[in-house]
Amino acid sequence: MTDDGRVREFVTAFETLRAEVEKVIVGHREIINHVLIGMFAGGHVLLEGVPGLGKTLLVKTLSESLELSFSRVQFTPDLMPADIIGTNIIVEDADGRKHFQFQQGPLFAHVVLADEINRATPKTQSALLEGMQEASVTVGGVSRPLPAPFFVLATQNPIEMEGTYPLPEAQLDRFLLKLRVRYPAIEELNAIIDRTTQSRQVVVERVMSGAKVLGYRELIREVPVAAHVRDFASGIVMATHPQWADAPDVTRRFVRYGASPRGAQALILGAKVRALAEGRYNVSADDLKALVAPALRHRVILNFEGEAEGIDVDTLLGQIVDNVEASTAQAREPFVR
Amino acid sequence: MTPGAALDQLVRRVSAQVRRRRVEHYALRGFFWASLPAVVLLALKGPLGPRAVLAAGALPLAGALLGAAWGALKQTSPADAARLADRAFGLEDRVATALEWAERPDRTPLVDTLVADATERVERLQPRQIVRRILPREAHFLPLPLVVALALTLAPALPLPSPRLPDFMGSSQEEEKDTRTGSGLLEERSKPEARERLRPPAFEEREFQARSGASTASTAGDLSAVFKDTSLSSQRPDFNSFLKRGDERLKLLEQVDRLPDLASDFTTSQYKMVFRKSKALAGGLRPDQISPQKLKELLEEMERLGRKGGNWSGEVGEGMEALEGGQTDRAMEAMQKALDKMRAQEEAQRSGKGLRGGRDSERGGASRDRRGGEGGGEGEDFGEGEGLLPGKGRSASPKGEASRRLSATPYDVGVEGESRRGRKDGYDTNMTGRGGPMASRLHYLGVIGQYRKLMEDAITREAVPRDYHSQIKDYFQALDER
Repeated sequence: MTDDGRVREFVTAFETLRAEVEKVIVGHREIINHVLIGMFAGGHVLLEGVPGLGKTLLVKTLSESLELSFSRVQFTPDLMPADIIGTNIIVEDADGRKHFQFQQGPLFAHVVLADEINRATPKTQSALLEGMQEASVTVGGVSRPLPAPFFVLATQNPIEMEGTYPLPEAQLDRFLLKLRVRYPAIEELNAIIDRTTQSRQVVVERVMSGAKVLGYRELIREVPVAAHVRDFASGIVMATHPQWADAPDVTRRFVRYGASPRGAQALILGAKVRALAEGRYNVSADDLKALVAPALRHRVILNFEGEAEGIDVDTLLGQIVDNVEASTAQAREPFVR
Repeated sequence: MTPGAALDQLVRRVSAQVRRRRVEHYALRGFFWASLPAVVLLALKGPLGPRAVLAAGALPLAGALLGAAWGALKQTSPADAARLADRAFGLEDRVATALEWAERPDRTPLVDTLVADATERVERLQPRQIVRRILPREAHFLPLPLVVALALTLAPALPLPSPRLPDFMGSSQEEEKDTRTGSGLLEERSKPEARERLRPPAFEEREFQARSGASTASTAGDLSAVFKDTSLSSQRPDFNSFLKRGDERLKLLEQVDRLPDLASDFTTSQYKMVFRKSKALAGGLRPDQISPQKLKELLEEMERLGRKGGNWSGEVGEGMEALEGGQTDRAMEAMQKALDKMRAQEEAQRSGKGLRGGRDSERGGASRDRRGGEGGGEGEDFGEGEGLLPGKGRSASPKGEASRRLSATPYDVGVEGESRRGRKDGYDTNMTGRGGPMASRLHYLGVIGQYRKLMEDAITREAVPRDYHSQIKDYFQALDER
């Protein structure tokens, strides 16, 4: 198949998958797009939103539309690491001899829904770390690979802080994107009511295999990025650091820690998927701008002044992007330089 | 057409547009800046003649041409042009990425597809002007010099001031002579004028002997006195230089902190002037390090001053002899003796002057006359037994007569002090002036009780160490006994 054909196939697959999810999920087009971007980029996605907005349903529907194994873990304060990773148990064979056998936990699935991840203790949360980063877990000194593609979708409730354990920065950084699920508009709400209170059954078809997903991940990494677009991405990431010499004033005033290099990777990878999903063979600056908030919002830590002033990280990132855009060569007319 | 050719053609087209805009931009800038000297030329068309108008017309054109050449010579990088095209035609960085990646050795298979896609889109484009015109800031102000130039061209030649102003100080030589002779006791050491000009007007090098005599002819508002100690005193005042603000006097007057205080006795005391010179000469140096030439000059100066009634000629003579014999230390000793004599003589003169008159005697004259000449001197306003202590004094008023109290203004009270070295360094102060010997108005017995009460409160409330309690109480006990 030609490259052009591969790209067209990806565009079609992307749209088909989205259409399957949209059979169940009303609205949230951007959220669905970003979830798919996270999956094709090979990262994990954290969904944040108040209860009842369809976060869990979205992930369940996505898993149903993929020919992949799915497991759901409801995180609670008494959940132990072994409960999600698995543990060695004593089993008796046909001869009556007893030996240890590894019993896989729910993490051994292609798509893992970590529901209300911030309700588990940090110990259990950190059990996900190795799996998310290395796609393998170590139990009893034996490292066991997780199935590929491995994709964690976690949800958390931003308003209910009682009895929760906010995710540490190290773990947040392992999520490629953090998506904020907003309340639906009134038309969407009406559609949700109509769709969920009638007897009509929606059947979600499995439209993509795991092998396809892995193949698309390879294709995505071939998308070229121009030097000036890459410089724009690194400029945005560096501008989130208050210590950087050219950091904008808003960063110096409100930010304690900026985004890590993982943030830049997330930005470029996500932009590549977005470009390809739009049938484009290159990454543009607009792709980066569209992904700045989901890729960086959980990687920028506000300082006390930022918290006290109630600064919204998305707004802050928007100002940073404007500032970087104005200061780079992109915004200047070349003939007066 | 090959895929790359279409992209290259687009980049070349955009580069040409950029160059055209640059030519316009820099030509306008050049025209504006060159029009400014053209206006000056037109203003001077009187003395310069009709050639000025021609030159004024040619200058802006030359400036515009130079600017245009500068703009045409500036290079535009293909990457910049490609980015510009991407933005202008909404190509989402396709052209820039394709051009950049087409040449890279690590190009991925997708790059070929990208180049083909970009080329296809570029070929569909309609050529149009995409580089917008940006007027330079100067272009907004361009009408101003043009209008001025037009007005100057049409108007008759401007009457310009002659390059040399008339010398208003034609008889300044005589005036200078008068000023010098009119200064009474002021003696200026005659010096070659050329040498004076070379020296900067530094106050450190004042010739203090020029201020001989306790009284000078300097009066309030006489600014000439300011320059007496500088090399400017020997220069002839020139009104033209004042007009041009190039006169050294004007520059000196702007340095307020460097102006001498004419009111201080610094300029009126021979001793102080010579003392300062001697101090500056010694400057912490050993006698063998002191310049004999300068020491000689100082001794000569003292000798000159001594000829007008001073009694230190003998010491100065000794010093000169010692100096001729190469004994600088003896010369310094002799100079010191002469200085002592000078000071003694000056103090004697000053006490005599105090008896004769001065501000104090003038002000107190009337009251002295009224009282029939009783009392006098510094303490006359606060005669013993009068005034401030209740139950004392001859006056019916326990605080003394109002008029006399009023004359003792608080400004007549000063504080002098000296540092005290010891186990603990300190500073002893004394009240001076006419208010100095005034008794305290605070009733000691009236407040000592309050202070004792405050003390007792303090040592019970505050964290005063117990060992100190008895000492503090003993102190107040001792005050009671007094």
